[in-house]
Formats: sequence, structure tokens, C-alpha cells
Amino acid sequence: MNRRDFLKGLVGTSYVVLSGSSVLAPLNALAASGADASDGWLTTGSHMGAFKMKRKNGVISEVIPFDTDMYPTDMINGIKGLVYNESRIRYPMVRLDFLLKGHQSDTKQRGDFRFVRVTWDKALGLFKDSLDLIQTKYGPSGLHAGQTGWRATGQLHSCTSHMQRAVAMHGNFVKKVGDYSTGAGQTILPYVLGSTEVYAQGTSWSLILEHSKTIILWSNDPYKNLQVGWNAETHESYAYLAQLKEKVAKGEIRVISIDPVVSKTQQYLGCEHLYINPQTDVPFMLAIAHEMVEKNLLDNEFIEGYSLGFDKFLPYLQGQTDGVEKTPEWASKICGVSPEVIRDFAKVLTKDRTQILMGWCVQRQQHGEQPYWMSAVLATMIGQIGLPGGGISYGHHYSGIGVPSSGAAAPGAFPRNLDDGQKQLFDSTDFNGASSVIPVARWIDSILEPGKTIDANGSKITYPDIKMMVFSGNNPWNHHQDRNRMKEAFFKLECIVSIDMNWTAACRFSDIVLPACTTFERNDIDIYGSYANRGLLAMQKMVEPLFESLSDFEIFTRFAALLGEGKAQEYTRGMNEHQWLEMLYNDCKASNEGKFEMPSFEEFWKAGYVYFGEGKPWVRHQAFRDDPEINPLGTPSGLIEIFSRKIAHYEYDDCPGHPTWMEKVERSHGGPGSKKHPIWLQSCHPDKRLHSQMCESTEFRETYTVKGREPVYLNPEDAKKRGIKSGDIVRVFNDRGQLLAGAVVSDKFPQGIIRIQEGAWYGPVGKDGSKEGGAEIGALDSYGDPNTLTLDIGTSKLAQACSAYTCLVDYEKYQGKVPAVSSFSGPIEIAL
Amino acid sequence: MRWLLNIWRTLTKPAKYLTLGTISLSAFLMGIIFWGGFHTALEATNTEEFCISCHGMESMPYQELKKTVHFSNSSGVRATCPDCHVPHAFGPKMARKLEASHDVYGWLFNTINTPEKYNAKRLEMASREWKRFDQNKSLACKNCHQYESMKWDSMSKLAQKQMKRAAETDQSCIDCHKGIAHTLPDMGTARAPELIAEVGRGVSGLQVGQTYFSALTKPLFFNDKTDVEAGTLNIATKVKILEVKGNRAKIGIDGWRKKIGAGRVIYYDFGLNILSAQLTKDAALEEGVIKTFEEKEDPMTGLIWQRVEADIWTDSDYLLSDLQPLWDYAQSTYDTSCSVCHTQPAPAHFDANTWPGMFQGMISFVNMDQDTQALVQKYLQEHSSTFDKSAH
Repeated sequence: MNRRDFLKGLVGTSYVVLSGSSVLAPLNALAASGADASDGWLTTGSHMGAFKMKRKNGVISEVIPFDTDMYPTDMINGIKGLVYNESRIRYPMVRLDFLLKGHQSDTKQRGDFRFVRVTWDKALGLFKDSLDLIQTKYGPSGLHAGQTGWRATGQLHSCTSHMQRAVAMHGNFVKKVGDYSTGAGQTILPYVLGSTEVYAQGTSWSLILEHSKTIILWSNDPYKNLQVGWNAETHESYAYLAQLKEKVAKGEIRVISIDPVVSKTQQYLGCEHLYINPQTDVPFMLAIAHEMVEKNLLDNEFIEGYSLGFDKFLPYLQGQTDGVEKTPEWASKICGVSPEVIRDFAKVLTKDRTQILMGWCVQRQQHGEQPYWMSAVLATMIGQIGLPGGGISYGHHYSGIGVPSSGAAAPGAFPRNLDDGQKQLFDSTDFNGASSVIPVARWIDSILEPGKTIDANGSKITYPDIKMMVFSGNNPWNHHQDRNRMKEAFFKLECIVSIDMNWTAACRFSDIVLPACTTFERNDIDIYGSYANRGLLAMQKMVEPLFESLSDFEIFTRFAALLGEGKAQEYTRGMNEHQWLEMLYNDCKASNEGKFEMPSFEEFWKAGYVYFGEGKPWVRHQAFRDDPEINPLGTPSGLIEIFSRKIAHYEYDDCPGHPTWMEKVERSHGGPGSKKHPIWLQSCHPDKRLHSQMCESTEFRETYTVKGREPVYLNPEDAKKRGIKSGDIVRVFNDRGQLLAGAVVSDKFPQGIIRIQEGAWYGPVGKDGSKEGGAEIGALDSYGDPNTLTLDIGTSKLAQACSAYTCLVDYEKYQGKVPAVSSFSGPIEIAL
Repeated sequence: MRWLLNIWRTLTKPAKYLTLGTISLSAFLMGIIFWGGFHTALEATNTEEFCISCHGMESMPYQELKKTVHFSNSSGVRATCPDCHVPHAFGPKMARKLEASHDVYGWLFNTINTPEKYNAKRLEMASREWKRFDQNKSLACKNCHQYESMKWDSMSKLAQKQMKRAAETDQSCIDCHKGIAHTLPDMGTARAPELIAEVGRGVSGLQVGQTYFSALTKPLFFNDKTDVEAGTLNIATKVKILEVKGNRAKIGIDGWRKKIGAGRVIYYDFGLNILSAQLTKDAALEEGVIKTFEEKEDPMTGLIWQRVEADIWTDSDYLLSDLQPLWDYAQSTYDTSCSVCHTQPAPAHFDANTWPGMFQGMISFVNMDQDTQALVQKYLQEHSSTFDKSAH
């Protein structure tokens, strides 16, 4: 008898598998039965924008964009489906074997999706018992509760703050630094330009439109990515993109998209395309720099007055240090751009006012620090940093950067940290010689190789021996790389807790799963427009929490109560949801007193929003340009550092003292590994989701899936060679994993390149497509999560960030047994 | 017994009309009556009713008081005007009553009878009251509120921390609780009101030769009179008082500068981009302002640094004797503001020269005025891994 048969036997004999209850109709009915009967339009919002919602017979019946949103995303069509969804976590549940054996459970069963319904008291009790056990046995280094990600919006109910405050009341834990989106960029740029840049407000769009003659979109797709924001997005950037489209049509601004593929923005603007081989931006940039030096196209005065170390970089550029002169001919062989085009492009960049707008993709690859550093060097050589419509930006595709800030004070939030003097149940800060903070993308390494010491950003990090993880509103089984490696790591964990609203893959691989309600089942306030800070938005509760779900506030108040007498009170500071909202609002009102008019809380709540007005246009780095002595950059020298002595003195072989081209472990178009797996997998931010948020929204998902699966975009000739046409089911694979996806053949994707957008929910089934075996290493992903295939290595010793874009695969028409998609149906419910 | 008899005789001996005893007794009785009257009259001026019989008092400060917990609360105990504004002991009370001639003048000449006039004088009046409170460590408050009787456990953790520290030094209540009963005056140039409410407006009576710390980013001047600015002193910067003249103090700022440009920027220490002061070009070049000492090359940048001392003038306000309250405020602001989106890195996670880049790269999301931003950045730098080796 093999293990699977044994498991099947277990399910068949000892336990009763409850048949999956049917979906939407009963959900609606259930919602209606417990809901407030009053109907009408209410105001709320999410990362996707602000909207109005209609409540009819106690259920959400309609969602329309807010009056002020001139460019709403069609993602709001998916909002309703997030609430009424077959993936909803209906009640607290515990993995079968964990319920039976606790920390001695068979962790290889994790992911088999067999869960038992328990009461809230039982679930929270188990949660607390596990924490007790971990803190007693291992101390704080055994617990990682710092792996947080995008949450749902709202200043009060922010789920990561609630989880971390409550867990910190119990004891200390391992935390992360950095994030998956911009890990390499936010680490290298402070050394070079003196700020993370990726999260800094940028030159206002109006000034770019007025002054730029050339705009370079470098692996940048703002039209796709500006649909979502960290707070309720205003979508004001789209008005500027519309103006840009007009200017492109009239020939007033030349826009060039440097990208391996034809982006959504390129299609919208009708702009030029400059094709480049994936992962080869650095040779291309070096060759441009070489040409600028050759033809004396550089701004020597700017380099002299505002930067440091060009003289140390020049010998590398000219081949004196490594014997390779970085000529257009040299680069052309790597990047696939002809020497003539490179030479011409150097002229284009330097001819007139040029604004370079970098995307984030190029830094999510091995040595991802380098293209960012080298782009800053190019911008320095051009000499337009600090001029309106000139210089370089690393954020105009994100959260409305480039829309001037109103300048109003934003509201505070429910505290993530303990209050001063608050006593913890376990107050040990002894991490057994390991680091208490690890680079965000290195946690799987840490679980697999505890005690190992690595380099990171000038420090030494020693991996803690993690035994328990707590996730809240966070789906690492989306954003981390290499699913099979994750499974190996998870075998070693004793306990995993997930708090979420729907059955994400992270919940599937957890032991204790707690149902949080959605944004629309609680009251909150949000900033309207992250960088624009256009106003405040009331997020009015539409319906009561569905099933047994609770708000994060309520979940962790109950949890805190288990920590001792008066602890719940300590957790909430003695205030309920309404009192918190009123306080957050009134504190904000006080901060804005005399500057921005704000009505009383009651009036605000009734209106649904407060509007702060528009901000003034602004130029990034202008103050630095005006007076670099008084307004130095945040670099060690205060100047742009083309050569960084600080980085050089770390003596990292994979991140030397100036921008450098280094070959990747995997690279398509003739690079390493391309003989075996010739195709580069691009796993960019999705067009129809915010990372993995919204993938579960059934009807909306069905607007873009192919045979129920995530689309994989294929080059026509590559597809033809493999006998694949649009609509076919494709198996994409490499030595790390395999997935099924639905073919979309498109000439927007050049040869040797496919795209599967990240955020597709992992739905493992047996290796051969059979229903059983999803928990096993080598499982087939039935839906199309690209991180089944991606590479889990750090970008370099500097940032140790995620390298998802360094990934080669191959694909074929799928001939095997076609499994049902297993991502969205929730667990197999077992009755004990 | 003879002496007793003599006294009796003297007292009973008829004077011209009355016995001395009668006179003394009457004087005593008269005294009581007079004192009673004086006291009654005095007490009449010591009632709220009397205070608010002036239109100026009734329409502004009294209406403001009515909105506060000192007027209306769950226990029904309330403070009246004299409870706070008139000392309770006889001597000081008399002195205060004499001072009150001021108020009578105001009443006669209608100096504060309209909201506009009142607001125009608000800062002046409030400053006088604050000074009075400071002189006796807020005795008027302490007549009701005593540190010894405070029940720490029923306070919030934040309040506990602040109050315990205040109790240790028997701190004057008004240091922190300005504006508790009346609207705060418009402090004019006073920036970062929350910060200043926490750390105060600086010590009065600067001691020459002592060191102090700036509570705000402050303008620097060429001498004790001119309004021509010579630069700015950054917040939380240590200065030594060299001379005091009127409302100005000449200070010495020790530090290092990079030998680039005019050398206008003074940093905390060699190779550390922790800002202490920025001078104008004129000031940096002015004879006698900057004294220069040894030079060193910074291995991390290759730039030459030079040790300097700048001797220059600033206003004598917003100078604190202790740096810790500034750090406490910075720490709590950092922990609160920078954890809204993510876990805030420990200050010692980065070194002093990395913090400006990290902090400036995130600041667009954070809600802090300029002074607080500068303070928090400096707090992070001075508590970074450059100084605290405990991280990792």
C-alpha cells in the first residue's frame, strides 16, 4: 500500500468527508439572513480605487466607481466576487493531522487540504498553545511572524498590524526587511542616489508633459500597473497618460519603450518599441555610456559637480580593468540590439530633454542591483537630474507617484507595535545567536539551513531555526519562488497559522486557518491616493461578516484575552471600532487645523469622504541640483556615487564598487541554460489582479482565463513549432516544477519569451494530473502559478532580494489527463 | 503676685474716657470686623462670578474653559478661575492681588473686550501665566493633582511613562499641559506644536559655558542684533553657550565639515552625515565665525573632512538642557508613524550614513512636519549601528 492509498483509506474509513457545499446561491442566502436589512448606496474602497456599493436585501448588489474616479479599473467588476466566493473561509479550521497530533503531526500531509472545522475558542486556544510551546522550547528565533505583504486597505483594520501587535504581546519573533517588489532597488539606490527612489515622490507628470521631449519607458508598464495603489487609488495618473498619448500622436513627445515584449502602455500610447533580450539591460546601458564617452555626448560639468567616482568607472567601461571594452559591438551580441541602434540611441538620450522612467522588473533578477545603478550612471552622464522633465525616476508606475501631493496630514493607524511599557507573556530577546531580522526573500533558506551565516548589505546574517510561521492577509505561496523548495522547507515547520478571508495557497499549507471578514464587512477609513493624498475615504460596512468570519480587530482582541486579565483591554486601548475611527479622524483633523478644512467626524462619515484639494507640481532632485552642498543626497558623500567605496569595501564578488555586467545563472537567447530550457519566463505584475488578490473572484477571473486556467502568452513561431494554438492547455516546466496554463498566442511576445503573470493561485494536483498528490514534491500546478517554476536565489550579497525574473523554462502541448483546477474550491472538510 | 496686681491696675485705671482694656478689646473687635470686611471684599474678587463680570473674561477664557474637563466632568468637581490663577497662600495671594491692577487697567481701557483684541494679546497673557506656573512648579495644579496620589496602573502606558518621569523631578505640570483649560495662543513661528508641547520651549536663563540642545531647527545670526540670517542650526544639536545678550545667545558648534564647496555644512562627527548646522556662504567665509582644526580623508568616500568650530548667534529660546526628551519623542513618533505600512527597522539596522537614504526614500508616505522629520532622522542616525553594535 503506498502513502496515497493509505491516506485515501484514512479518509474513507475513519473520517467522514463532508461533501463540498454548493457555492453562490447559498452564500447569498446566508448573507441575506444575517444582514442588516437597510438598503442603499454606501461609500468604500480598496487598493483598486474608491467606489460606491449598493446594498439590496442585505447583500452587495452593485459596485460602481466613485464620482471622482475618471479612470476606474475594470477590476471593480471583481469586487463583489471577493465577498461571495466559493473560496471563502467560513469558519476556523485546523488541518486534520495537526488537530490529532499537534506539533508531532505528519508535516508531509500539509497541502493535502484536509481540514476539520473547530470553534473560535478552540482555534485561538491552539494558536496560543503553539506559541507557548515554541517560545518555551526554542525562544523567539523559533517564530517568524514578520513575513507580511499587501493587505486589504484601511487604517484601522490593517491585518498585519493587528497580527503583529497581538503576537508581540505574547512574545518576540523573527522579522523581515525589504520586500519582494523592489528588494534590489531599494537597497542599491540609497548608495547611489541617496534614497530608495522606488518609494519616493517623483517629478510631477504635468512638468514631464511640459518639458520632456523624449520619455524612455524602461521595462515599465504604467498603464497596467497604475490600476492599483497602496491605499485607495485615485487613478489620476491616467489623465496624464491620456495627455501623453495625444502628444505622442502629435509628435510633440517621443516615447520609447525598452522592453522584451510589447507592453500594454506601448499599445495604449502608440509609442515606439526598442526590443532587448531579457536580462541584458546592463550591457546595453554600458554600450550607450561607451558611445557617449566616444562621441563626447556627456555632461562633464554635471558629472564633476554632482557625482563621485566616474574616473574609477571609466577604465572598466573602456576595458582597461577586465580587457573587455564595452562597445556597442560587444553589447549587441548579448542584448540583441544592433550597434547602429545603440549608437543612435545614445544620441536620442542626449539630444534634448529626456525623462527616463524605470520599471521594477529589471531589478527582480539575479544582480538586479546593476541595471538600477547603471541607469543612474546614464542619467548622471546625460546631466538632467533635477531638471523638470529630465533625469530618472523609479516609481512613476506605482501608486500615483507623479501626481502632486496635497500636503495634508494623513491619518494614523491602529498600532502595529506594543505600547510603551506593555509586558509580554514571553519577553525573551535571546535569538540563540541568530539574526532577529532577515532579508524578506531569504526565509525559506533560513528554514532549510538554520545557523548558516550569509552576507547582506554590509552585515552578516545568521539564519534562525524557524519552527512556526504566522501569516495574516499575506500569501507567500504566491510571492515566494520555487514551490517545491517551499514544500521541503514546510516539512520542517511544526506549526503554521494563516488568517485570511479566502482559501489562498498559504492557507492550504497551514495548520490553523482563521477566517477574517472582507473589507466590506467592517468600518474603516483610508487615505484617498497614496502619494496624491487627495483626501480621506470612509469605508462603510456593507454587510455583517459572513459565516463565522470576524474582523482582524475582533480576532486579535479575542486572542489577546487569552494572554491574561486585562490584556484585551490593553490590546484595544479600551476603544471599540467606532471610537478608534473617530479618534484617528479627529487626530488627523487636529493635524490639519488651519491648513485643510475638515468637517466633524459625523459629517465626514455621512458624506463618505473629505477632499484636500490638489498639490503643487514638483521636481525630484531639484533642490540637490540647486545647491548640492546644502541639499546633499543621502549617499555617504552626499553626491551621486558612480563608484561606491562603501560597496567596494564589502568585497562582494556579485556586487563590486561600480555597475558591472555579470552573466546570470540562467539566461535565454544564447545565455547559460538556454540549450536545455530555451524560453525566458516573464512573471510580471498582473493586469487583472493585485498580486494574488482578486484571483479567486470567480466571474471576473473567467473573463481572462483559458479553459479555466491562467493564460500563458506565447510567441506565434515558438507555439507553432510545438504544435500549440490559442486555447490549448500547455504544460510549462523546468527542473524545478511544472504547471498547466491556457495558451494565448500573440505577436506581442517575441521568440524565446513567454509571460505568465504572477498572482495566479497555486493549485497543486498529482504529478500526472491525478487528483491526489498535490502535497507532494513535483506536483503539477493545475492553474498556472509562475512561481512554481522560478528560481529561489538572492540577487546578490548586497540586497539578497528575490530573483524571479532569472528563470528559464520550456513548454509543450499538454497531452496528459486534464485535472480540474484545484485552486479555488476550499478544503476537503473532514468530520471527526 | 505684685506684678499681676500692677497689670490689673493699669488695665482698670480710667483713661480719659475709656479704660485701656476697653480700648484694646474694641480694637480687637474692630480688627475682626475690618478684617472680615476686607476678607469678604477680597474673597468677592476671588470668585468666578467676579472674574467673569468683565465682558472680556466672560466671552473668551470662560467660554473656552466651559468646553474642558476642568469645567465639566463625571465627578462634578470643577476648577474656577481663581483656583488656577490666584495663589492659595496669603503672601503670594496678596502679591497677585496687587498685580491684578493690570486687569483693572485692561477693564477700564477695553484692551481685551473683543475676540480680535483678546487673541492679539493671548500669547502675552498666556506667557505671563505660564511663567507664573513655572515659578512654583505649577502649585495651583498640585493643590488638587498630586504625583504621590496618582494611580499609575489606571493610566495608559504612554501616560505612565511620561508621568513617572515628571514625578521623579517634580516637574511643573504646565511644561506639558499648556492649553489644558484655554485655547493655546497662536505661537507665531512656533513649529512642530506636538513636539514643543512635549519638550517645552527651552530653558530660561542660559548659563554661559554650559551645553544645550536645540529643540527646533533654529535660525543663526551674525550678531546679537541683526535679523540677517547666517544659516540654520539643526534640531537636536549640541551647542555651548559662549555669551548671552538680551534675547540672543552666542553659541559654539563643534563638528566636522567636508572640504567641498564653501564648506558651509557642519556635521556631528568625522565622516558622519549627521547634520549639525548649515551656514550661508557669507557666514562661512566671515572672519572669526569658523575656527578650523585637523583634516582627515574619509575612506568611504575619499572626501577630505576638517574639524571645525563655528561661533555664531541664535535666539535664546528653544534650547534644552537635556537631549533625552527629544529622543523619546523621536522614538515614539518613529515607532508609530513608520509602522503603518510595514515593521519599522530597528534604528541599529542601518548605519548612520545609510539612514538618510532609507528615511528620505520612505518619507513621502509619512506624516511629519519638517522639524519632526529632521529630528527622527537624526535620532535614527545617532542610534544606528554606527553607535549601537547590538544589531544582528
